[in-house]
Amino acid sequence: MLKKKINYYVKCISTIVVAMSLIVCCAYAQDRTITGTVTDEASSAGIPGVTVHVKGTRISTQTDPNGKFSLNVKNGKILVFSYVGYLEKEVAIGGGSEVNASLAIDAKGLGEVVVVGYGSQTKRNVTGAVQNIDAKEIKDIPVSQMTQKLQGKLAGVQINQTTGKPGQGMSVRIRGQVSVTAGSDPLYVVDGFPITGNISNLNPDEIDDISVLKDAASTSLYGSRAANGVVLITTKKGVKGKTTVGLSVYGGIQEVPKKGRIKMMNAEEFAQFKKEYYEDAGQPVPVEFQNPSEYRDKNNDWYDALLRKAPIQSYSLSINSNTDKLSTSIVAGVFNQQGVVLNNEYKRFSFRMNTEYSITDNLKIGFNIAPSYVFDNTPRTDGDRGTGILFNALHTWPVMPIRDANGELTLYNNFPGSTGNIFNYPNWVRAADELVNETKYNYLVGNAYIQYKPIAGLTLKSTFNVENFSSKFFFFNPSTATSAINVPVPTTAVSIRQNIEGRSLLNENLATYAKSFGEHNFELLAGFTNQKFYAEQTRIQADTYTDDRLPTLQGAININRGGTNNAYNEWSLVSYLSRLTYNFRGKYLLTAAIRSDGSSRFGSANKWGTFPSASLGWVISDENFFNSIKSINFAKLRASYGVIGNNNIGNYTQYALVNNTINAVFGSTVATGAAVTSLANPKLTWETTKQFDIGLDLGFLNNRIQFIYDYYLKNTTNLLYSVQIAQESGFTNYNDNIGQIRFWGHEFAINTINIDANKFRWTTNANISFNRNKVIALAEGLDRVYGTFHITQVGKPFGQFYGLIADGVYMNQQDLDNSPQVPGRSNVGTIKLLDLNKDGKITYGGDNDDRTIIGSPFPKFIYGITNTIQYGKFDFTIVGSGSYGNKLLIRHLYSTANLDGVFNMVEEAKYRFRSPENPGKGFFGTTVGGGNYTGIERDWMNSRFIDGASFFTIKNITLGYNVGIKSKAIKSARIYASIQQAYVFTNYWGGPNPETSAQGDGNGDGGNLSQGVDLSNYPVPRTYTLGLNLNF
Amino acid sequence: MEFFKIKLRAMKSQIAIIIFSAAIFAGCKKFLDLKPETALTSETFFKNESDFKQAVNAAYVPLRPIFNDRSWVLGEMHSDNTYYPRNILFGAVDATENVADFAMPNSASSVSGITLTTNGHVLNQYRLDYQIIARTNQILAAIDGVDFDAASKSNLKGQALFLRAFAYFELVRYFGTAPLHLTVVGNRLEAAAELASKEQLYAQVEADAKEAANLLMPKSSQEPGRVTSGSAKMLLGDLYLWQKKYPEAETVLKEIVTSGEYNLMPTYDKAFSNTSDNKNNAESVFEVQYMEGAAGYNGSLIYNFLPRPMTKGELQPITQTSNPQDLSGEGNNIPTPDIIAAYEANDQRKDASIAYITLSQSLRDNKVYPYIKKFAKPHAVHGNTGNNWPVYRYAEVLLALAEAINEQNRPGDADDYLNLVRNRAGLANTSASSQADMREAIFKERRVELAFENKRWFDIVRTNRIQEIIVPYGARIKANPKDYYFPDGAVPPNNAFTILDPYYGLPADESALSPYF
Repeated sequence: MLKKKINYYVKCISTIVVAMSLIVCCAYAQDRTITGTVTDEASSAGIPGVTVHVKGTRISTQTDPNGKFSLNVKNGKILVFSYVGYLEKEVAIGGGSEVNASLAIDAKGLGEVVVVGYGSQTKRNVTGAVQNIDAKEIKDIPVSQMTQKLQGKLAGVQINQTTGKPGQGMSVRIRGQVSVTAGSDPLYVVDGFPITGNISNLNPDEIDDISVLKDAASTSLYGSRAANGVVLITTKKGVKGKTTVGLSVYGGIQEVPKKGRIKMMNAEEFAQFKKEYYEDAGQPVPVEFQNPSEYRDKNNDWYDALLRKAPIQSYSLSINSNTDKLSTSIVAGVFNQQGVVLNNEYKRFSFRMNTEYSITDNLKIGFNIAPSYVFDNTPRTDGDRGTGILFNALHTWPVMPIRDANGELTLYNNFPGSTGNIFNYPNWVRAADELVNETKYNYLVGNAYIQYKPIAGLTLKSTFNVENFSSKFFFFNPSTATSAINVPVPTTAVSIRQNIEGRSLLNENLATYAKSFGEHNFELLAGFTNQKFYAEQTRIQADTYTDDRLPTLQGAININRGGTNNAYNEWSLVSYLSRLTYNFRGKYLLTAAIRSDGSSRFGSANKWGTFPSASLGWVISDENFFNSIKSINFAKLRASYGVIGNNNIGNYTQYALVNNTINAVFGSTVATGAAVTSLANPKLTWETTKQFDIGLDLGFLNNRIQFIYDYYLKNTTNLLYSVQIAQESGFTNYNDNIGQIRFWGHEFAINTINIDANKFRWTTNANISFNRNKVIALAEGLDRVYGTFHITQVGKPFGQFYGLIADGVYMNQQDLDNSPQVPGRSNVGTIKLLDLNKDGKITYGGDNDDRTIIGSPFPKFIYGITNTIQYGKFDFTIVGSGSYGNKLLIRHLYSTANLDGVFNMVEEAKYRFRSPENPGKGFFGTTVGGGNYTGIERDWMNSRFIDGASFFTIKNITLGYNVGIKSKAIKSARIYASIQQAYVFTNYWGGPNPETSAQGDGNGDGGNLSQGVDLSNYPVPRTYTLGLNLNF
Repeated sequence: MEFFKIKLRAMKSQIAIIIFSAAIFAGCKKFLDLKPETALTSETFFKNESDFKQAVNAAYVPLRPIFNDRSWVLGEMHSDNTYYPRNILFGAVDATENVADFAMPNSASSVSGITLTTNGHVLNQYRLDYQIIARTNQILAAIDGVDFDAASKSNLKGQALFLRAFAYFELVRYFGTAPLHLTVVGNRLEAAAELASKEQLYAQVEADAKEAANLLMPKSSQEPGRVTSGSAKMLLGDLYLWQKKYPEAETVLKEIVTSGEYNLMPTYDKAFSNTSDNKNNAESVFEVQYMEGAAGYNGSLIYNFLPRPMTKGELQPITQTSNPQDLSGEGNNIPTPDIIAAYEANDQRKDASIAYITLSQSLRDNKVYPYIKKFAKPHAVHGNTGNNWPVYRYAEVLLALAEAINEQNRPGDADDYLNLVRNRAGLANTSASSQADMREAIFKERRVELAFENKRWFDIVRTNRIQEIIVPYGARIKANPKDYYFPDGAVPPNNAFTILDPYYGLPADESALSPYF
């Protein structure tokens, strides 16, 4: 079956390749050269990128960054100048060789074309909630991932960088959409192809345009995959005009700012703490801590030792060519980012060629191919205590030496047990340097299409898409290092090899018919698509190496059976889709769409689903009655409603799976065992989201001020959820469609041209969004779900922090006697907690629980602002993004404020309670009494672990200068300097990155119901770069 | 319009292509019907003998974590036999301390009023027992519908019945009440069941164990390590003692004795398995099986049973591994002065069971601690042991039989079985002759013979002696914490020895998931 299909695709693709190879390009003889400059009518500044076209011919070019053009004209009398946002202008060619034009801003300003699902529309006619970003707006931002560039740019879209690891950690949530277990990332569609791989591997320089589809009307054509929103990415196409070659280069240095790093005790402070610990307990002070000042010059900052300044470089070469029939765009890129953590490197080599060949006026074929290779070596930086070396480094006693007397890195450190040292601390610098944790990705995306226009208005298009991916992961833990706390070194050397290979194939067949009857304009789209995905994974884990230099499989003494496995994953999707777009006089707009999806992921009873939507638009400003309102030149009301789905539940979840590795031992024999370990649910189906959106677009003062507002209301039902069930059943969970979450919010965006004077132009784009959610229902008989630190409860937003409320410490015996206590565990100086149920004692969990909601990981609002200033040849951009009202759980306090002194302490612990006379700041309690007393403060989730994480980050500042070059070879040159992650304004004290959340990085407390956990992940560096853009 | 029609005709070939490609996919129903290829599903399992063999094997697996991690906390430390050696440098073990201190956080269920606890050991024990029950229920629901070799089938069915009975027997002894599941759970709504009474649970254990005893092979023909008809009879005899059905107990226990399948090992220390030999020996009636090595079937018992902090130099003589590591944290299951005093003079079992170690880094004035020696067997790799856990030994069969007979007021018949055990330990015959004296002698004998085998708490509950034994034991600890391994100045929590219920509270986490408690 699959083989047949591949053959089918191969045949089609090869036909196209053969056809292309037969193409011969002809050169035209040309007569005279016309040159000129295109300027903005208002500011007289040159406009780059204007299309200059000889009317009645195919000859055209584009203006350079200074607005200049040069064009060979054989025959033709009129030049047509067109550019997005400006009114088109025709100028007759006179006798001379120079033709200048000045363009006026299009009063409607909305002639711009926006890419939407399965097509494009003029912005004016869009009836859904769609936001569009031109790649030019984000070109100078020196980061590896496209999503990083979008931070602060999109209303209603929360983009957080949860970890600073190059190429990783971006969390993108459109309109707060979160699924409980079914994945919350939007669907990324590159050139019409919903991709399955890692979007962070895409070279951002290949991108021409990004459209973010937010409401159901815009996304419903993506059916059962659309509920989290859709990001449409269009890559660069050959543009009409002469062949151009561009080179973009930047290089820079990254570093972690001192500000925001967690303030830990230094060696002397720590020794002092330990000394006081024993004194307060009335015990003799161990000799190691009797004289803290001896550590004054022997501090070991384990966290700093893992960081470095690191270079970042990017080279991107683009070629654009467009002859009569063949247009080609090529982008080749090399990106190399060394991480700010030792031994971290991310490299990407990418290439893309998009070509389109017009065989006849109504038949064309296209062929895009984009191979890329990514190398990523990442030390195990992120993770909970015990696994993430950054987290571990914070914990390590600063009195423990990083290097020994000979300057060699120590293997591991411990102090005698009499000092209270419980754990062995391996050397984390070795862990970073010596562990190999690398992944090599090979990625290939190809699209081929054929488009035929048999009659006016009718377009038939078939596309064949292939996404081929493979990754090779290699991990090696030599005997001399480990990333885990308390593992003595030398340790057992371990290697893991994991190879994944897979392919996604998509065939789409679309017919579009556009027709106008008088002032009625119709467009009808119908299509059939099918997609099949498979991936094969092999993992081999081996251990016990006799020689660290040879981590081969044959070098291992043992193959770890538990860590060795292979798996095969497939899914398939068949869909029918249709859309009607209608407008009357361009004033009354209607779009109605429907998609029907059949998915292999759902149970036999529910394979097919239908996703309809409709949207309406009314351009009020076109109405006569509106003419009197002079200040508002454009006004459009939009409303939409639709049904969309989320099928991200993994494959085969509807089946009851048998685990056949539950082996028993009898005597000296291993006997294979098998048990059914999950429950089947043949009724399992996609999550359904019904979304209503109402929007208003306004333009003031000839569109110098544009204002966009959207309100949305979504109801997600049939939540795919692995419901916890009573384990007396023998099972832990049941995959079911349960419950309902409501999401709603307001989004505001404003784009203004503040100053538009001669040589000086200042524009501002700003947005602010208020996203809310509330759990309406969970499963029958279930009104709450507990996580370790969170609760999801009917009537409340999901994933709220849940714990006791801290109320200082018991200041003295009287305070203790008069306050509710934890029976047997409260004492003078220990943490005081609120007795919410007024039963006279503090209870954690169970039926007399005193816990309550103590904070929300969700912001009250998120916002972004971009200012752009152009002054003569200088340009300046500053981008900021912020979040207000969200809280984070400072996970490291469980250890770094462990009053037993097992780990290094946060500096703040100096001000703990020591006696009624010396009560400290009332935040941290007494060390006296050991775990029975200190354990409450440390182990019971309480409000001390929560801190506000509102922030405003200056994401990027760029200053550019257009160099005036009079050279035949170089048409234009621009140099710029930029600072990325320039400054974070925040009062958050738990760590350097208030955007962080363990959610999304696959570690520990991840999961959508338990967001907002700060695991001291890789810090986001500040990056200083210098760049150069050249056009030839 | 004519023009339109002509063009339409021209389009036909294109349309045909599109329809054709659509047909390729849509026409093939299988395109959307993808089954897992690297895992079996419940649709394809339980079809033949091999499937049932594997399923039975998997049903044994939860016993490994039960006995490695839980039973000794709930069955031994929750008694006067062992305690925890407080290491005030370390705090985070209150779940275990709470059990040993009879100070577990308890609350009452708002649904049923039944006692609940958040203690993690209780929760895990409960869940693991139900894992066995769910796996055996799956086997028992399907096995009669599949045709294969009758002898093999009855042996497999017998093992499943035994394991289910064993799991319920644990539950009823720990909790006194528990949900009763005898069929396969198919969906979310069937997950929780009503609580069954002690009598209902006893009846189920009895029915399953009886049937198992009939179906299972005797030890001589069974694969070593699997349960046998003898194991099932011992389980039944144990149950009858709890139910005070002494004649029935006598009958079934005597069948074990007369079967000739079992003997006491010549010396007490030989009764216990080594890390790779002496497993399932002549005295073994049922052992939980472990295997040393990297494959993950190992135990780590002795590492749970050592006081801390201990340097690797102090550890190595005990474990004799090539890579000893320092032990940090807090140890557990340390013999109390009470059990040490309970051995009669010249009892060979004392030295075989208990040894002493001096910890240089201890904060106690007296840095000497006892530890359980009988499970400390030399092994190769740190933290990885392979010795089996004795669940039922022939010595217990004899003591149970003695008890069953004595309780029928025939102390003169009981002493033979008691003396077999005493003589093996190097002790003279018992001097008890009255029923009351004999009862006390058997009770004391059980304490030392079965010391550290997680029998003590059950014996105290079964004989209704909590007040008599635990209350003074707690008073002794509070009066003399230093005798019970507390460093100077450290004391048990002030709510220690306040919760003296015969049963543990049901797990609060499970209560949250069940409508019935």
